[in-house]
Amino acid sequence: MSILLRITRMAYRYRTRLILAYLSFFIAIGFSLLIPWLFGKSIDTLLVISGTEIVPLNPGNGELLLLASLLLGASIMRGFFDFARTYTTDSLSQLVTYDFRNQLYDKLQHVSFAYHDKEHTGNLMSKATADVEAIRRFVNMGLIRSLEVVVRTIAVTSMMIWINWELALISLIFVPFLIIRSTLVMSRLRRMWLHVQEVNGELVTVLQENLVGIHVVKAFGSENFERRKYDKKAQELRGEYYESERLQGTNSAWMSLYFTFALGIIVWYGGWEIIRGDLTAGEMGAFLLFLNQLTFPIRSAAQIINSFSRAISSGQRIFEVLDSSSPVEEKPNAREMGRSNGHVRFEDASFAYEARSATLKGVEIDAPPGQVTAILGAPGSGKSTIVNLIPRFYDVTGGQVTIDGEDIREFTLESLRRNVGMVQQDIFLFDATIRDNIAYGVSNATEEDIINAAKIAQLHDQIMSFANGYDTWVGERGSTLSGGQRQRLSIARTVLVNPPILILDDSTSSVDVETERQIHQAMVNVMKGRTTFVIAHRLSTVREADQILVLRDGSVVERGNHSELMASRGIYRDIYELQLRPQEEVLLDASLAGGDGGDN
Amino acid sequence: MRGMGGGFGGMMGGMRGLNSGGMNSPSMDNLSDDNALGAVYNNKVVLRLISYMGPFKSDVVKSLIAVFVYTVANASIPGLIMLAINQGIKLGDPWDLTIFGWTLFSIPANAGDFWSWHPLHLFGLAFLGLTMVHFASNYLQFVFMARVGQSILYALRMQMFSHLQDMSPAFFHRTAVGRIMSRSQSDVLQLQETFEMLVLALADVLTLAFIVIFMLLVDWQLALVCLSIVPVLFFILGYWQRFARRSFMRIRRAIAMVNGEYNQNITGVRVVQSLNRQDENLEHFKELNQEHLDANLQASRFSGGLQPMVEFLIGVGMGFGIVLVGGMMAKGGALDWGVLVAFALWIQRFFEPVRHLTMQYGVFQRSMAAGVRIFELMDLEPEVKDKPDAIEMPPVRGEIRFEDVNFHYVEGVEVLQDVNLHIRPGENVALVGSTGAGKSTLVTLIHRFADVTRGKITIDGYDLRDVRRESLVGQMSMVLQEPYLFSGNVMDNIRYCYDDATDEDVINAAKAVGAHDFIMAMENGYETILAERGVNLSVGQRQLISFARAIVGDPRIIVLDEATANIDTHTEILIQEALSHVLEGRTSIVIAHRLSTIRSADKIVVLDKGRIVEVGRHEDLLRQGGVYARLYAINYGLAHGNGAEPEGGALIPAPADND
Repeated sequence: MSILLRITRMAYRYRTRLILAYLSFFIAIGFSLLIPWLFGKSIDTLLVISGTEIVPLNPGNGELLLLASLLLGASIMRGFFDFARTYTTDSLSQLVTYDFRNQLYDKLQHVSFAYHDKEHTGNLMSKATADVEAIRRFVNMGLIRSLEVVVRTIAVTSMMIWINWELALISLIFVPFLIIRSTLVMSRLRRMWLHVQEVNGELVTVLQENLVGIHVVKAFGSENFERRKYDKKAQELRGEYYESERLQGTNSAWMSLYFTFALGIIVWYGGWEIIRGDLTAGEMGAFLLFLNQLTFPIRSAAQIINSFSRAISSGQRIFEVLDSSSPVEEKPNAREMGRSNGHVRFEDASFAYEARSATLKGVEIDAPPGQVTAILGAPGSGKSTIVNLIPRFYDVTGGQVTIDGEDIREFTLESLRRNVGMVQQDIFLFDATIRDNIAYGVSNATEEDIINAAKIAQLHDQIMSFANGYDTWVGERGSTLSGGQRQRLSIARTVLVNPPILILDDSTSSVDVETERQIHQAMVNVMKGRTTFVIAHRLSTVREADQILVLRDGSVVERGNHSELMASRGIYRDIYELQLRPQEEVLLDASLAGGDGGDN
Repeated sequence: MRGMGGGFGGMMGGMRGLNSGGMNSPSMDNLSDDNALGAVYNNKVVLRLISYMGPFKSDVVKSLIAVFVYTVANASIPGLIMLAINQGIKLGDPWDLTIFGWTLFSIPANAGDFWSWHPLHLFGLAFLGLTMVHFASNYLQFVFMARVGQSILYALRMQMFSHLQDMSPAFFHRTAVGRIMSRSQSDVLQLQETFEMLVLALADVLTLAFIVIFMLLVDWQLALVCLSIVPVLFFILGYWQRFARRSFMRIRRAIAMVNGEYNQNITGVRVVQSLNRQDENLEHFKELNQEHLDANLQASRFSGGLQPMVEFLIGVGMGFGIVLVGGMMAKGGALDWGVLVAFALWIQRFFEPVRHLTMQYGVFQRSMAAGVRIFELMDLEPEVKDKPDAIEMPPVRGEIRFEDVNFHYVEGVEVLQDVNLHIRPGENVALVGSTGAGKSTLVTLIHRFADVTRGKITIDGYDLRDVRRESLVGQMSMVLQEPYLFSGNVMDNIRYCYDDATDEDVINAAKAVGAHDFIMAMENGYETILAERGVNLSVGQRQLISFARAIVGDPRIIVLDEATANIDTHTEILIQEALSHVLEGRTSIVIAHRLSTIRSADKIVVLDKGRIVEVGRHEDLLRQGGVYARLYAINYGLAHGNGAEPEGGALIPAPADND
C-alpha cells in the first residue's frame, strides 16, 4: 500500500492536472447520462403504451427538434469533457513516468560499482521499460480510471434503479461475479504471460547463441542438431502462446455473453413490465442504452484491478533502485580536492564484498608522486579491486587510502575523480564520434587538446586514415575499432583530463607486434609525470616500474623492483620464468639460424 | 596491414578479407534498411503470408466461418430486440410471428398471465439461442485464430532458423547478429500480429456491412438519413490517421533514444563515474526524455481529439437522425418504436469497428515492412549448398589435397592463389604466415565454409563439393581461437551434437585434454551450468572444454587455431599438453603461434599473400633463410628490436598472427 501511496505522491506534484481530470470525467459522466434519458424521453413523447394499446402521441416538430438539439448538445459536451479527461490523464501519467525515468537514470549513474556488479543490465533495463510502463498504467487506470469507472457504474446503476429497480436488479445481478471472474482470469493470464516471456527468452537465447556461435555450428556440421534444439523451444512457445490466447478469448467471450444475455433479459422482462404498465417504452429504450454504457467500465474493471497489483510489484522494483543507498557516499562536509601532488598510500586497507570473505587483506602501498607501481597476480587475486579503491569506485571496509596524506573519503567524489584517471580493462565506447569519445570527460576541450591527446595515445595517425577522421562514428551502432585502437582511444580520453594519478588496467587481448609496440609507446607517454598504477601483463611495463607488487589471495606477497624480485627467487621469478620460456627457446634457435631478427 | 583488418577482435579471421578497413558499412550485407516503412498493403507479402495458411486450411475455414457467424449474430442483436418490441409486447389477440412480411406461425392469445404462454417468452428463448450462438462463435473465432496464427508463427520461425543454418559464415560475417535477430524475432512477431489483424479487420468490415444491411432492410429511408454522417466520419478519420501515424512514429523514435541512452549509461557507468560525466549526462537524458514526453502529449491530443468528433457524429445520428426524422416518421404511426431503439443500438455499434479499422492502419504498414524484411532474408541464396546428387561421405582416412586452389570473396581480390598442398593421413601440419596471409581462409575451406573459386579440394580423393556437407564435416572438427560455449551444463557442452556419445565418452574426452580435474573441482562437476556462455570460467578453461568437444566425436581430421589470448600460466601449460593428445593419430592442421607446436609439426606450411611459399620442417626452413626465417625473427626475436636485454617483449608471447 505504501508503494501505491508513494506513486500517488509523485502524481500529486501535478495536482492541477489530477483535479482537472477528476472534474472533467465527472462532468462527462453527467452529460453521458443525459443521452439515454433524452432518448427515452423522445420515445415517450411519441407514444404511450397502455395495456395492449400503443397510443401514438403527436408532439409538434418543434418539440422533437428541441429534444434532438439537446441530445446533440449533450453528445458534444460529453465528447469535449472526455477529451479533457483523456488529455489530462495522459499528460499526468506521462509526467510521472518522465520523473521516474529521470530519477532512475540519475540514481544509476551515481550508485557505486558494487551495485552495478550485482545487477544485470537486462534487469535494470526492464525496470526502466516494463516497470515504468506499469507505473504509467497505474496512474492512468488506478488513479483516475478506477474512480471514473466506480463513479460511472454507480451513476448508471442508480439511473437504472431509479427507472425500474426490479429490472435493474435482474439485469445487473451477475455483474459482480463477472468482475471477480475476469479479475481472476486476468491474474492467471499475467502468470501465463510471464511464462510465455520466459520461454520466448529461452528461444531467443538459442537463436542468439546459434548466430554468434555459427562458426562452431558450421565446424561441427551440427545444423540439424541446432534445428532440433530450436524446434523444441519453438513448439513449446507455440503451445504456451496458444493457451494464453485461448484463455483471453474465453474471457472476452464470457463478457460478451453476459451483455447479450442482459439485453435479452431487459427486453423479455422489461417487455412484460410494459404490458403490466410498470414501464414505459421510452424507459425501456433508455434502459437498453444505459446498459450499453456499462459495457466499458465492466470490461475494464479487471484491467484496472490488475493495474494495482502490477503497480505494487513494479513500484517495489523501481523504489528498490531509488532507495538503494550507495556504499560509496560523500560526507556531508566533504571538501574539494585541488590538484593533488599524487602521493597515494594504502594503509592497512581491506575490502570485502558484502558477506563474502575479504578480497583484500591489510594492503600497504606507498606510491610517491610520479612513480610507477605495477601490480601482478593471478586472476581473482584482487588486482582490479586495489585500483578501484583509489577513485572510490568501492570503499575500503577497513583501513584507509590517502592522497597527499588525507583520507580520500574527506573529499567530494567529483574532485577526487578529477584527480584520478583510469583506463579500464573493458573499454567502453559511447555511441558517438571519435572526437566526442575522446572529449567525454572534458566537454569544453578544444580541437587542439583532442588531437594532442590522440597523439600522445599514438592514435592520431590511424584516426586520420579513416575516411571521416575524428568524425568517425564508433560505439554500438558505429564502426568497430580493433581492441588495440579501443584501448588507445581510452588512453586518449583519460589523458585529456590530465589527472595527476593514473590507473592503467592493461588487458592482454591478443594483438600483433606492431599494435603491441604502439600501445606500449602510448603507455610510456602517458605515465610521464604521473603517479601510475599498472595492472600489468606486459613484461616491458613491469620491468620499468619503480615498484612491483605481487598479489595472492588479496594480500601483497612480494614487493620490490624487478631486479630485487628476481634476486629473491619468489613467485615473481616463477611467473617470469614460466612465461619467458618460449623466448628463451627463441634465443637458442636464433643462434642456430644465424639470428638477424630485429627489424620491424 | 590495417587494410586487411589486422588486429580486429573477432572469431573468424578468414572472412576478414571482405571487411577491409574494419568498417561495417550497412550496404555490405545485401539487406535493406531496417527502419524503412513502406506501403500499407503489399500484395506479394500478403499472398506469401496467405500461402503459409495452406497446411491449416481447415482451421482457416473454421475460423472464417466463426468470424462470419459471430458478426452476423452481433449485428442482429438490435434486430431481435426490434422484433421483440414490435411483435412481442402485445396482449390479447392471437399472435403471428412475422419477419420481413412472412408469417412464420401463429399463437393463441394470452390473457396477461406471465407463467402461461406468451409471444414475449418466445423472444426470450430466441434471445437465449442468439446469445449461445454469439458466445460460441466468439469463442471459436478466438480459438481458431490463435491456433492458425501460432502455427504460422511457428512455421515462419522454423523456416527462418533453418534457412539461417544453410547460410555460409561469410553471410554472418557481413551481417550484424542484431539485424538477423530482429528479423527473426520482432519481424516474425509482427507478421503474426498481421495475421490476427487480418482476421479482426475482416470481422470489422463484416460487422459494418451487416449493420448497414440490416438498417437498410428495416427502413431504408431512416437508414440513409442516419448513415449520411458516415462519409464525413471516414473523411475525418482518414485525415486524422496521417497525423496519428506521424506522432506514433515520433514516439517510437523518442523511446528508442531514451532506452538507448539509458542502456548506454548503465553499460558505460564505470567510465561515466570515472570521468565525472553525471551532470551532463542527466541534462542530455532529460532532453531525450522531454522529447518522448512531448511526442506522447502530441499523440494524446491527436487520439483524444478524435473523441469529440465521434461523439459529435453519434449525436447527430441519434438526435437528428433517430429522434427528429425517426420521430416525425413515427408520429403518424408509420414507424414502430422498436425501430427507433434498434437504430440507436446499431449506430452505437457502428463506431467501434470504424475506430478499430483506422487504428490498424499503422500496424498494417509495419507488418508489410516486416514481411518484406523477412522474405528478403529468406530469399537469400545460401552460398554453399549440397548438390542434389551429393553422396554420403564414407569413413574418412584423412588425406587432404589442395589442387590449384584459388579463392576470393570479392572478384579480383584473391585471398588464396595457386595453392597446392598434399597432407597425408595422420600428418601434423603447422600453418605459419603473417597477418592476412590467408591461413584462416585456407583451413576453413577444408570445412567448406565457402567453396573454392578455382581448382579443387579433395579428402580421400572425394571433391568436397560432391559429398553431403554434413556427412563430411561430422567426421572432422575444428577449434577456434576464441572458445565458444553454449549455455547449458559442461556435459552438454562437450557432448554438443554427438547425441550418441555416452557420459563416459564425454568424461574420457575431458580427461584426454586435461579438463577433467578442473571440471571435477567445480561444485557440480559435469553438471555445472555455464553462466552466459561460460563467463564463470577462465578463457583457458573454456578453451579446454572446446578441445574436449572437438575430440568427443573422434574426428579423423582436426583443424585448430591456437589460442594465445588472456590465458593464465597454469592453463597455458595444460593446453600445451592437451594439444599433443588432441592431435595424436589424426590428420591435423594447426594455425600455429607457439614455437613448440611449430617445431614439432611434421610439416610447416608458410603462407604469404595467399600463396604457399615454403613447405618443410623447422630446421630446414630456418636454414633456408627465407620467409619463415624472417617471420620467425620478427615475432620471436622482438627482444632485439626492443633493446639489448634478452628477456624483453611480452610476458605472454605475442602471437605470430591474429587475423
